[in-house]
Amino acid sequence: MKLYLKLGFILLVVSVIATGILAYVNSITAPQIEALKQEEAIKSREELIPDSIFEEVEVSPDFSYFIARNKDTEEIQGYTFIASQKGYSSNVKTMAGVSPDFKLMGIKVVEQSETPGLGANCTASAFTDQFQGKTMEDLMADKDGGKIKSLSGATITTRTIASSLKQAIQALQQDVVAKQEVQQ
Amino acid sequence: MKFFSELTKGIIKENPIFVIVLGMCPTLAVSTSVDNALGMGLAATFVLICSNMMISLIKGIVPAQIRIPIYIVVIAAFVSIIDMAMEAYLPDLHKALGIFIPLIVVNCIILGRAEAFASKNNVLNSMADGLGMGLGFTLSLTVVATIREILGNGTWLKMQVLPSTYDPMLVAILAPGAFITLGLLMAVMNIIKEKN
Repeated sequence: MKLYLKLGFILLVVSVIATGILAYVNSITAPQIEALKQEEAIKSREELIPDSIFEEVEVSPDFSYFIARNKDTEEIQGYTFIASQKGYSSNVKTMAGVSPDFKLMGIKVVEQSETPGLGANCTASAFTDQFQGKTMEDLMADKDGGKIKSLSGATITTRTIASSLKQAIQALQQDVVAKQEVQQ
Repeated sequence: MKFFSELTKGIIKENPIFVIVLGMCPTLAVSTSVDNALGMGLAATFVLICSNMMISLIKGIVPAQIRIPIYIVVIAAFVSIIDMAMEAYLPDLHKALGIFIPLIVVNCIILGRAEAFASKNNVLNSMADGLGMGLGFTLSLTVVATIREILGNGTWLKMQVLPSTYDPMLVAILAPGAFITLGLLMAVMNIIKEKN
């Protein structure tokens, strides 16, 4: 009995030390990681809709989008947002830019840890380029009758990206239309 | 001389994949392309060296009955620290290797070497063992990945090596292809061993 208590206690001490070290490392690295992510998001937005000023609109705690206005004329160039949905083995986050008539201008997968060699290929331009010009109706994997060519061996990842974008565009359109009506 | 033999044994004689048959899960999962194999191999080598040294350092104070859970805590903490530090300070490298890092925790080569070697040997030899095993792991992964990537995609390290008219053998990069390739390679290794 005494032995078991002693062993349990040693294990507890080791775990507490490990947890303490991890908490410490996390507290130093977390702000840095967050800053890098912000920077990356700004860069991705500019890649999707260049020469614009972005203004954030929060719809709900889980969904917000950015209105992109031309730097000089202040005309609305489009909208960007991050769509997120659970894929095969991770949460897949995709940043997308859409034109004022809600057609996709481009997408960029910003966060994923799908299977290397299969689902992880969703970041390749060979896959993401096909989203250009697609409307909400096209956003389904080709196997389900849509116009998105599936990644080989990763239908679930393809479906995830297509349907997360579709839902996000829907939410965006609803909000934009509702706000226009209020203005009128 | 012991240092040198500990270093080289992992490459052929005690190759972790083909001879000891450890770490099958990451082997099957990431050998779809050569760049993945190299990334996983190098990340695992790094962790293996560090964890071997660490385990060897604490071997005197760890009670034998609970050594395995303690090794797991040490390895998991180590991997998490590397993951966080890499993400914060080497974001480009983290982007390339990041997906492999959580997989390293469950790589049983690391625990296997901690238990079989580092807990019984000094720090220097444990380091050599970690480096050798890591290199053996990286090499074997690369061999499996070379076969699968060329057959399944017509490329090697993303460069086109087969004529573009080649119709890729998709099964090679899917899970069954991993088992088939691995089985055939193990058979080849055994034939070579029997002849010697």
